[in-house]
Amino acid sequence: MNPAVRSVRDFFVSLGLTVVLLALSLILVFASTLAQVDLGIYAVQEEFYRSFIAIWHVGGIFIPLPGGYLVGGLLLINLLSAHIYRLKLEWRKAGIQLTHSGLIVLLLGELFTGLWQEDFQMTISEGDTKNYSESFRLYELAVIDTTDPKMDEVVAIPDSKLAGAALVQHPKMPFRVATKAYFPNTTLARRDAAALSPAAAAVPVATRGIGSSVAVTPLPLTYKMNEMNVPSAVVELIGDEGSLGSWLVSPHLGAPQTLSHAGRTWRLELRIARAYKPFSLQLLKVTHDVYVGTDLPKNFSSRIKLTTPDGHDDREVLIYMNNPLRYGGYTFFQYQMDSSRGQTGLQVVRNPSWLLPYIACIMMTFGLLLQFGLSLRAFIAKRRTTAKPAVV
Amino acid sequence: MRFTILLLAITAALCFNVSGCRDPEVTTYRVAKETPPAASAAAKGPAAAGPATMANTPVPTADGESLTWTAPAHWQAKPATAMRKGSYAVPTDGGPPADLSITAFPGDVGGEPANINRWRGQIQLSPASDADLTTAITRFENSGLTFAVVDFENGQQRVLGAIIPFRGSTWFVKLTGPATELTKEKPAFLTFLKTVKPPSTP
Repeated sequence: MNPAVRSVRDFFVSLGLTVVLLALSLILVFASTLAQVDLGIYAVQEEFYRSFIAIWHVGGIFIPLPGGYLVGGLLLINLLSAHIYRLKLEWRKAGIQLTHSGLIVLLLGELFTGLWQEDFQMTISEGDTKNYSESFRLYELAVIDTTDPKMDEVVAIPDSKLAGAALVQHPKMPFRVATKAYFPNTTLARRDAAALSPAAAAVPVATRGIGSSVAVTPLPLTYKMNEMNVPSAVVELIGDEGSLGSWLVSPHLGAPQTLSHAGRTWRLELRIARAYKPFSLQLLKVTHDVYVGTDLPKNFSSRIKLTTPDGHDDREVLIYMNNPLRYGGYTFFQYQMDSSRGQTGLQVVRNPSWLLPYIACIMMTFGLLLQFGLSLRAFIAKRRTTAKPAVV
Repeated sequence: MRFTILLLAITAALCFNVSGCRDPEVTTYRVAKETPPAASAAAKGPAAAGPATMANTPVPTADGESLTWTAPAHWQAKPATAMRKGSYAVPTDGGPPADLSITAFPGDVGGEPANINRWRGQIQLSPASDADLTTAITRFENSGLTFAVVDFENGQQRVLGAIIPFRGSTWFVKLTGPATELTKEKPAFLTFLKTVKPPSTP
């Protein structure tokens, strides 16, 4: 083997690398725990664990750290390499092999969860029916063709595309959408209400729609768990014959804005990102029980009617704490409740790899049991051979 | 050799693809028409982004007798929640409505300085020292209640707040909204405070 290649192999196979990576994991957990005070749990997950390089802000100092993907990825490679090069496939080591395989499945499970998990919410009022869930923090620009009297044709542009200031083009839209300005957290006020702050004055003014009379003030991003960033953007629509004008879009604006172009009517809405489902849920009743004589909650439950358009499913379901509804690959957890307003909040999770951690734990449990069992058997056998019969 | 190449390929694939996989793309779909909402959840402000979370609900609010008040006619009452004894949308000129909340908790809830600094933090103001707070608080008495009133703004957002101790509990009245709009609303807020009374007061 080429010496350079061997050194690379030795690097990945070495136990030293394992120790260094485990030490780095400890530092990462420590740093991210402290960073959670300022950033909140979601930002910490994204910046420290679902990234290759994490930047830890301590005072005014920026400390780069290896992110979760880097540490986890290298650990995975290290473990796989060790499996292939150091651990021989033999019955005596079957327990260790199985335990390590479980660990590999666990690491892969976290990677797949980070990549594929959808975590949305669905807020429904009593009597209302919904067939979509909404993101906790992502927004989208919905460009909706409302010409058809029965159906809406929606082009949903994620806010990350708007933030990237890209020119968005889509076959379903007879115009392109160009971002003139995008602010991830804002507040709005009437433009003529008072002298504009310098930050608000720097925002381009929309030429069409209600935006021409609204002042946008950018705000710092919030990372608090109970607050949401509310973005605003000024977007220009460009048709074949030039600009159609620019619009201010923001969830702060009360009503969506419409325009007519090429004989069709369109609605523009910057709203919380939606994920439509092939079924709908109607909230029949919410129940919030408290312990007698106190305000302490005893039970939250939502009686839901689940229906599919083809009539295949039409049934009532009771969702309560620790008893979610699992349907169509989604899990609906009882998450929030406002019984005074007759409103329920369900957390809607879709995680195609949700079984992997369970499989990993089972593999590791059996691996360890097997390894200890084999060691015990060997130990007992050894004792038997070495123990001499007592001579009377 | 082949194994090393495989490892390097896996590393490279992870580095270049992982972030790419997570970028949402433009999507299209057809849905049955729905009535456009009057205002989206986010438009009502962070507090209304959803109902009170379950993590919040176990916090005991003050029970026992409730204060009474008369809200100005132009304030729109919102249903009280598990956390709020009273809740109003205060209309502004064209912008999103300002939010008035009335809450009550047992005890002194950490005292005046902690609560006032909590309000300051909500509009990104740094905490004020006790000495600064002493001058910032306006106090008055009405209907046998003592009111500690504060008024802070950060240039865009403003908080008008009142802290009212009442029979072992502390009541909080807080109006949050655009700074310029609340300047106009302040007289109505102060008049409103004068209507806050213990239940037995005629």
